[in-house]
Amino acid sequence: MTEDQRYDVVVVGAGVNGALVAKCLTGRKLRVLLLEAGPAAAWTFDGYVKRLDDFYGVYAKGPEAPWPAAVGAPQPDTHDVRTGGGYFVQKGPHKYASSYTRYAGGSTLHWLGVALRMLPEDFSLHSRYGRGRDWPLGYADLEPYYRKAERELGVAADVADQAHLGVEFAPGYDYPMRRIPPSYSDQMLAATVDGMRLSLGSEEFALKIRSYPAARNGIPRGDFVPDGAVDERTDGQALGRDIGQRCQGNTACTPICPVQAKYNALKTLAKADHRYLHLVTQAVASRINVDPASGAVQSVEYKRYTEADSPRHTVHRATGRVYVLAAHAVENAKLMLASGLGNRSGELGRNLMDHPCLYAWGLMPSPAGAYRGPLSTAGLDDLRGGAFRARHAAFRFDIGNDGWHSTTGAPDSTVADAVYTRNLFGKQLRRHLGSNLSRQIRFSLAVEQLPSADNRVTVDPQYLDPLGNPRPVLSYRIEEYTLDGMAAAAEVARKVFERAGITDCTNPDEGTWFPSVEHGDEVFHYHGMGHFAGTHVMGDSPETSVTDPDQRSWEHRNLYVLGSGSFPTMGTSNPTLTMAALTLRTADRLVAELAS
Amino acid sequence: MSSERTERFFDLSALLTGFDRAQLLGTGVADQYRRTLEQVVCDEVLDDLLRAYERLPAGERREAAVRSEILDHADRGPVARNLIMLWYSGTWRPLPDDWRKAHGTSPLDTDRVVSGEAYVAGLQWVAAGAHPMAARPGGFGSWALPPERIDA
Repeated sequence: MTEDQRYDVVVVGAGVNGALVAKCLTGRKLRVLLLEAGPAAAWTFDGYVKRLDDFYGVYAKGPEAPWPAAVGAPQPDTHDVRTGGGYFVQKGPHKYASSYTRYAGGSTLHWLGVALRMLPEDFSLHSRYGRGRDWPLGYADLEPYYRKAERELGVAADVADQAHLGVEFAPGYDYPMRRIPPSYSDQMLAATVDGMRLSLGSEEFALKIRSYPAARNGIPRGDFVPDGAVDERTDGQALGRDIGQRCQGNTACTPICPVQAKYNALKTLAKADHRYLHLVTQAVASRINVDPASGAVQSVEYKRYTEADSPRHTVHRATGRVYVLAAHAVENAKLMLASGLGNRSGELGRNLMDHPCLYAWGLMPSPAGAYRGPLSTAGLDDLRGGAFRARHAAFRFDIGNDGWHSTTGAPDSTVADAVYTRNLFGKQLRRHLGSNLSRQIRFSLAVEQLPSADNRVTVDPQYLDPLGNPRPVLSYRIEEYTLDGMAAAAEVARKVFERAGITDCTNPDEGTWFPSVEHGDEVFHYHGMGHFAGTHVMGDSPETSVTDPDQRSWEHRNLYVLGSGSFPTMGTSNPTLTMAALTLRTADRLVAELAS
Repeated sequence: MSSERTERFFDLSALLTGFDRAQLLGTGVADQYRRTLEQVVCDEVLDDLLRAYERLPAGERREAAVRSEILDHADRGPVARNLIMLWYSGTWRPLPDDWRKAHGTSPLDTDRVVSGEAYVAGLQWVAAGAHPMAARPGGFGSWALPPERIDA
């Protein structure tokens, strides 16, 4: 075993949380060792573009396509959900349908970029609606950090669009960039849907197609300078400010933005002070050693591999004053469980959540310009909050700009249908495709899920990866509350389609395969949103939670555990902005503690 | 492929896709598609398909003949449909089992993207009035404009 020099802080994971904490700490001249399990293939601009070229040539263009796993750092793949193989060991009863990426940059390399704040009511779900848990902090505690996170990630939106459902902004504040222009289909939908009224139980709602805040470069406000593409060279770090300063409309946010106009965590890492940062990639944290008497973490062991296609590795030990786990909701819990860390509350690894998501798809009444622009520029989010949450889950619709790509594998599947089934050819074929493809529209119906003790990550010595580290064993059930929310969401989608004159073509039997769950007479086919959460829940008491409100382990006081794993509940917003805000808040406390 | 055979390949491709020869050449991947066909489909069937194209009548009867002599023909139809799929999406799809029984199976007869260039060059993006996902973007804000008129 090789002993590393002692650092101020050892951080595990170079995704968005690890990068943010590394940037904050190195900015205060604190020495940081950042261990990343995966490769750094996208760290130079050429390296990134090579990923893009590889993506063009692969048949299955899923979210992981440009980011294949290294042998030493395996990762879940959405294709494995169907086969049952792969990295996750799925114990059921339902399939957990999401994936993540173990690379420097993490899953922000292929996220969509939507950066909604959580609603104030999301933080007190239990006291307001008798469901789930309350957070140990509220919207007002996090608001200043939302602002900081929106600047760090570079979020484009207009406060005028976003100030609803109780979401309040500091006086005079607006986002660092103006909102991304809504797509033509968003505008068509707004013309018919805005003002539409519908009721859930006894509550009445008015719907509005609303622009999404997105960590996607657009037109800056004031002195804000968008961060472009990353190009890290041996002769010094660089952020290509002239590349990727504006979204070009590549319609490929997931799985790879060709110009890096969409935020990825490498941008934050590039801005860390490299004099104080030691980034080691292909270094898989495998054990946390603690002092049995005090509970203090003494070191992190990691396995370093040099070849992405081989399990050969060497073992090292890193020491610091403070340790930060920022490896992902699943990986954090897995590493803590595998290391036998304290679990007084019994909550470690439990409360695993996602936003299980249904698709609805159809044809707009006239050409709508599908397959152009960011994958989504607007959504319907009026049903994210309300008294109905005492009865069933809240939900939110993404409106897609990518036709039926996600739902059926179009445009290829549309061409195949025209050629092999309809037997069309020549001008007639071309006209059919022209009319059909441009009118394709997709809604993603993302549904809230509550924390549940039975939904959990565990480890089992019989399931190990090629380096001998445990594979995550998942137990997961989609409960009644969420299923009732799915039923309500599907009904609302049907009504919106009708109002907008959309021909409903939703037919999961003819679409891409997704796992299914039964609810009465209905069968819902759902996919994951990649929104893993809940596995190291924060709270007010060591009896009921894994970390305190600062994401600091109750039982290991020099250990911080960052990310959406800390979320007590997750409402309906994409977790990245909220976890970035939480991480920036924790970083402030870390700086204060280490400076003293 | 002889130059004459190449000529027929382009003529047949134009007829089947609804794009003219200049547009097909402009994709830059015509040679890749021709080679793909030659690798998977034996000369006998390919020549028979091209000869059937040459024998098509002109005028009103032409469209019906495309169906009866090419698309609905047991040997030629599956190859012609795969040729359309190639041009539109840059992907090859496995030929039907009956066809394979009659003409043999190639190890290359699998679901695959012919090449990264072929993905980007797919005519489906042109037909949609769009651009390949992750390539040839329209520029900031282009998606807010009404779609261009889609001509065929």
